[in-house]
Amino acid sequence: MTQTGESITVRVDFISWVNQFVGGSGTGATEFDEQVPPGETVRGVLNRLSERHPKLKASLWDENDRSQIGTHIEIIVNDAVLGVAHELDSQLEEGDRITLAGQYVGG
Amino acid sequence: MSEERIGGIAGKILRVDLTAGKIWNEELSPREWREYLGGVGIGAKILYEEVGADVDWDHPDNRLVMATGPLAGLPVWGTGGLTVVTRGAMTNGATSTQANGFFGANLKFSGYDAIVLQGEAPNWVYLFIHDDKVELRDATHLLGQDTWETQQALEEETGYNGHMLSVYTSGVAGENKVRFAAIHGDYGHVASKNGVGAVMGAKKVKAVAIVRGNQPLPVHDTKGLYQIADQIGYELRNDPTTKGLYQLGTLGGVRNLLKLGALPIKNYTTNLWPEDVSGEIWEGPALRDGMDHRGHQCSACGMHHCHQSVIAEGKHKGEIVDEPEYEGWAGCGWTIGCTDPQEVAWLNTQVDRACVDVNEFGWVIGWVMECYEKGLITKEQLGGIEAKWGDVEAANALLQMIVKREGFGDILAEGVKRAAEHVGGESLDFAVYTEKGASPRGHDHRGRWEEMLDTALSSTGTLESGMMLSPQELGLPLRINPFDPDQVSMLVAGMLGRRHFEDSLGACIFTTRTSIEQLCNVLNAATGWDYDLEEAMRFGRRTACLLRAFNIRCGIGPELEKPSKRYGSQPVDGPAKDLNVMDHWETMVASWYERVGFDRQSGKPKEELLQSLGLENVAKDMWG
Repeated sequence: MTQTGESITVRVDFISWVNQFVGGSGTGATEFDEQVPPGETVRGVLNRLSERHPKLKASLWDENDRSQIGTHIEIIVNDAVLGVAHELDSQLEEGDRITLAGQYVGG
Repeated sequence: MSEERIGGIAGKILRVDLTAGKIWNEELSPREWREYLGGVGIGAKILYEEVGADVDWDHPDNRLVMATGPLAGLPVWGTGGLTVVTRGAMTNGATSTQANGFFGANLKFSGYDAIVLQGEAPNWVYLFIHDDKVELRDATHLLGQDTWETQQALEEETGYNGHMLSVYTSGVAGENKVRFAAIHGDYGHVASKNGVGAVMGAKKVKAVAIVRGNQPLPVHDTKGLYQIADQIGYELRNDPTTKGLYQLGTLGGVRNLLKLGALPIKNYTTNLWPEDVSGEIWEGPALRDGMDHRGHQCSACGMHHCHQSVIAEGKHKGEIVDEPEYEGWAGCGWTIGCTDPQEVAWLNTQVDRACVDVNEFGWVIGWVMECYEKGLITKEQLGGIEAKWGDVEAANALLQMIVKREGFGDILAEGVKRAAEHVGGESLDFAVYTEKGASPRGHDHRGRWEEMLDTALSSTGTLESGMMLSPQELGLPLRINPFDPDQVSMLVAGMLGRRHFEDSLGACIFTTRTSIEQLCNVLNAATGWDYDLEEAMRFGRRTACLLRAFNIRCGIGPELEKPSKRYGSQPVDGPAKDLNVMDHWETMVASWYERVGFDRQSGKPKEELLQSLGLENVAKDMWG
């Protein structure tokens, strides 16, 4: 991951069944290295990917409030769940890593 | 449909006095059916009204309520539901635990909504139900048989098999009153929490066998019911919130929970994936496709969830097993350090057949293995078993000792809390439990504070609020910071009651993952009622108050509402390593009490809350 001055690189991982929304098989991980402007937010990166992947756009965001993530996908930024060290509108830094995993509860 | 009969309700509760050998039917008024629904609703009413404080879990006067609900037997996905309510053996308090399969459908088709077992049989019996033919039959020939063997024996004896006969038994573990014995039926469906199998064993009931009867089960609005059921099925298939569950059941849990620091690895000693273990073989599709498999669905269910598989390699190649749920992969695998899916799947079925709770099994064996590694429990104590991390054969040998209460197995059969108290010393620091005695579910709750709080505060012996479903419907935010004490408390308090509503319908919690409004729609189509969100949550809150009042009456109060030292410890590594739940525990608990309307000091539901829910009698009992 390199910083060009004009942009930073953020790694985005879609793991297991969530990667179906970005063309994956529903197993393993699908990774993207996103070149984004310095100061880009978590929301901005997810919006960019949503624009390129309609299934993700349809699935990631809450159907009643498209500015919020739905309940069924966990967003993890640098190994911490969204809300711990980052919010949706937190700015990202070079080398930050966003992971999307299925929310999981129960037996 | 006749005017007298409520759609979806069979209309009879089957009462069995085992001491006297007496069997009779009980009917409720239309108002009572609406007020108590079925499942935990009916169960909580009976428990509160009939089981006194001095009636311990193994006392003959304890009640074992096996109830279904208004949707069971109808063409709605996953509606073979069983809810068991009793005073359970782990906490000696209220219990609500569920299984599916075909219990609920078969019971309803024989004309009953619930069974209440009371008293204690003089000799071992099984209860046979086929329409109006209800008999207590001798079960001495079934003693020593595991859950699958018991079902097979009764299939041969009665001449019914497949979905025509449901056999729910507590196996050998129940016979020996193992404190975490479960109730298992239909080859792989387990009501596992709080030692309900031990209660069944204490009553000398080996099994309940129900033939799919021939009683009519009319509904209020057949066309409407089909339409709503189809809509729910469509949502489960296509909605991104449920699609993964529809496709693979709970198989995705291992990989996802690892990312959250919530996969329990080696008895909470680490949260890191072992470098020598392939992640690919633990992906959901690989777990299923790694073995020959076929669907093993519950009544009327279209989910690709429950399966049976054939072990593909290793010592047990060719054996048929029930495909583990996520918690089986955790309790028989990651918690005890086994990372070979074939071995875990095999051990999981041995646990089902022996009939113990797979969560508590994991905490017991994980604790033994850690103590063995540290020299606190020896090979000699274990009868020659070398309890090394990940050794499923050793784990199975311990399982067999536990269910027969042989040697050290007699101590382990009491569950990890009591076993650790027996061994004492440093070993107490390693045991995962709640002070109430309830088993945590098969997650590392140090990465899921909401489930730890729910487990510790629950009145059911397991999670009571459960998962965050359609939170906006209840005025809750879509997402919370799972490590913010106030938000965690808001979530757990805000969801309280929804699970009780689901668990009273006779349906599976995996097929009720829709809005409460939609659940009310399908309930109303069946019954002709006009249930709405407010009435559903009022029902749920009332049930929660009854269960809590029962526990308070039994002396189970706020002083026990905390995790053990290991359960509430700070992870040493992994995604949650910098987070210590106990730093915020009192804040979360106090906030939860405030939000649910219970008194922090005594634990009682407040008088005004009870009165607002129509529980004036309980208010009087609690507050005078």
